[in-house]
Amino acid sequence: MAPLVFMKEIRKVYPEGTVALRGASFELLEGEVHALLGENGAGKTTLMKILYGELRPTSGEIYFRGERVSFRSPQEAMRRGIAMVHQSFALVPTFTVLENLYLAISSVRKVSQGEVRSRAAELGKELGIEVPLNARVEQLPAGMRQRAEILKALLLEAKVIILDEPTSLLTPFEAEALIALIRRLRAKGVSFVYVTHKLREVKEVADRVTVLRKGLNVGTLQARETSEAEMAKLMVGAAVERAKRRPPREVGEVVLEVEGLVARDEMGVERLRGVSFSVRAGEIVGIAGVQGSGQRELAEAIAGLRRPERGSIRVRGVEIAGKPPREARRLGVLYVPELREEGLALEMNIVENSILARQRGHARGPLVDWGSAEERARGLVERFKVVFGSLWDRAAALSGGNQQRLMVGRELSSRGALLIAHEPTQGLDVTSAEMVREEILRLRDEGMAVLLISSDLDEVLELSDRVIVLFEGRSVGELRGEEASIEKVGRLMGGAA
Amino acid sequence: MVEAELWAFIAVSSVAYMTPILLVTIGEIIAERSGVVNIGVEGILLASAFAAVAAAFFSGSAALGVASGALAGALIGALFGLFAVYLRADQIIAGLAINLSSYGFTVLGLIALWGHHGASPRVEAELPYFSLGQGSVPLLSLLALLIAAVAWLLLFRTRAGLALRACGEEPSAAYAMGVNVRLYRMAAVVLGGALAGLGGSFLALELAGSFTRGMSAGMGFIALANVAFSGWNPLPAILGAYVFGFLSAAADALQQEVGYAYLLKTLPYLGTLAAAALLGRRSIRPPQRLGVPF
Repeated sequence: MAPLVFMKEIRKVYPEGTVALRGASFELLEGEVHALLGENGAGKTTLMKILYGELRPTSGEIYFRGERVSFRSPQEAMRRGIAMVHQSFALVPTFTVLENLYLAISSVRKVSQGEVRSRAAELGKELGIEVPLNARVEQLPAGMRQRAEILKALLLEAKVIILDEPTSLLTPFEAEALIALIRRLRAKGVSFVYVTHKLREVKEVADRVTVLRKGLNVGTLQARETSEAEMAKLMVGAAVERAKRRPPREVGEVVLEVEGLVARDEMGVERLRGVSFSVRAGEIVGIAGVQGSGQRELAEAIAGLRRPERGSIRVRGVEIAGKPPREARRLGVLYVPELREEGLALEMNIVENSILARQRGHARGPLVDWGSAEERARGLVERFKVVFGSLWDRAAALSGGNQQRLMVGRELSSRGALLIAHEPTQGLDVTSAEMVREEILRLRDEGMAVLLISSDLDEVLELSDRVIVLFEGRSVGELRGEEASIEKVGRLMGGAA
Repeated sequence: MVEAELWAFIAVSSVAYMTPILLVTIGEIIAERSGVVNIGVEGILLASAFAAVAAAFFSGSAALGVASGALAGALIGALFGLFAVYLRADQIIAGLAINLSSYGFTVLGLIALWGHHGASPRVEAELPYFSLGQGSVPLLSLLALLIAAVAWLLLFRTRAGLALRACGEEPSAAYAMGVNVRLYRMAAVVLGGALAGLGGSFLALELAGSFTRGMSAGMGFIALANVAFSGWNPLPAILGAYVFGFLSAAADALQQEVGYAYLLKTLPYLGTLAAAALLGRRSIRPPQRLGVPF
């Protein structure tokens, strides 16, 4: 039997010269869940975007049911029954679920909104995909949005559904529900490509797994017969040592004290509803929670970027709630923001970015001492392995991972009393992520207080001496590092008491 | 009672005064719902007023004048769309270019056609109207109200409207769902231009009876304020336009009685801005990707 999809020796060179794929092949059988595993930058998403018609390959051939195809747009792929659920969902957030479904389906065939409604309800019931059709998408949790996307794909009669890092925004419970749904749909004959970099998920969900490394497939294995260690080795090319939590050397005085913090987001929604905790010198406090539980508001309030409604924030005993960021900086707060465009001035060059908020240390009177600034930048890029063309290139010219290393590196190599690290390893490959985690541990051992906010639960559990779980803007639990397990924290993240 | 009659007269004639603002606002709402902000509507208003007067002057037909004004508006809208939508130019700068060049070209046109750089001769062609109580309402003003209702239906009750709004909210999602984002945006800008052109025709042929240099006098910008005041919805836009129309009518009627003519003329602008600033509902959000090229 010919495979459902066969991609042969696909090469992709982006216009600016980045080689994303160097002749990768991939095969999907009818009715299987096939994991596509690789580090960030291995080319997984690029390969799937090519299958979905979003990108065109530089060379290579694609066969669908044995027939040579070449999709010029997602519409053409969709007409063949190939759908893709993106990491950032392709739904209009301000529309209702029904409006989104209607828009998508009516652009393929003539249909009324009422027909879409009844068909969606019917299919949802049959497959156990409950989605509130009249709710606005932006008000739904990530798991629900993803279900809406899957429902959309099924309404478009998709035979192949590509899921791109589907659990990255989900709680452990939502992720479990997703895996159950995938199994149900597979039983109905839908095939899945499951793009991920999480080894554990591969074992849980996939029939087979293809590992990509640096734009090439380096192996296809039966998921049941392989081990996480074997996959990791294929994926990275060498065995990687995961940072292990180690007990803090010596916990000192309280550096950060947050009490009854209440803050709203841009839309005026109350995101933090009275959070209290403290962080001592020489310990890492991890914040776990589903994205949107108030993490961003918390980080920004401490950094001085968001004025809280109520509550107090004391750094080394000084009240800074509502004070400008300068105040926090002065007290030794280092801040790695969630968004790179907030931590870097992307249109400025690497040297300028290396001394952002540290200009005073590189000044000669009113003038910038570019010599010392360049020296600092050079040290930074070497230590944090930033790959660049010239130090005087704009930061925007760097790849996402390199931007992240530059931004994290600048903060982690500064002197301070408190580090707020919000998603410090996002977009980094396994090796760099480990390096960053190691640096954070080193800072802690040197006596810094660290507040780690991350959606990567493994990371929070590995590094934190204490874990605080946020749910809907409240702290619903505090666990000591050694007693925090995925199960316990996961339950709290879902709102269970 | 003279007082009451005067106010009734003002209330009715406000409907005529509000018309250009209303038409420009509806057109701009459609454009902005698709994600394109066209501050060039001020220039479109001016240029289409000129086109309407010129066509009516030489043909003697008011209908032809109105049609020419609307057509001029659509063409300028298309020119703007070419830059702002297809060439992904900065929308504010493209709009500014339309505003500045419209002013320049209309002054040149005045000199070329009538050898005068201040105003055109009066145009005698009259637009149809019917009487209502103390005053009369031009037919085009009623049409403008109808257009507001139709625009509302289009935006909120049709599939095309849904697709158009998706282009303004999340164009990449709209594109992924098979919507031709640029085509929708272009169509919205052209339609918006045509409506602004209709407004310009009305301003020149009905309200003024001639073309005077710079006669749009910031009305396009007031319409932009009205767009936000309305919450990007054609129906509340009628209210905002009426406030402006009422204050304009009042200023015109009262200036014969009191002496501060110039001061009175600022009333509609200040009043509308105050209304937009004070009454604008904060919970209403603009289209999320407004002003971002796709």
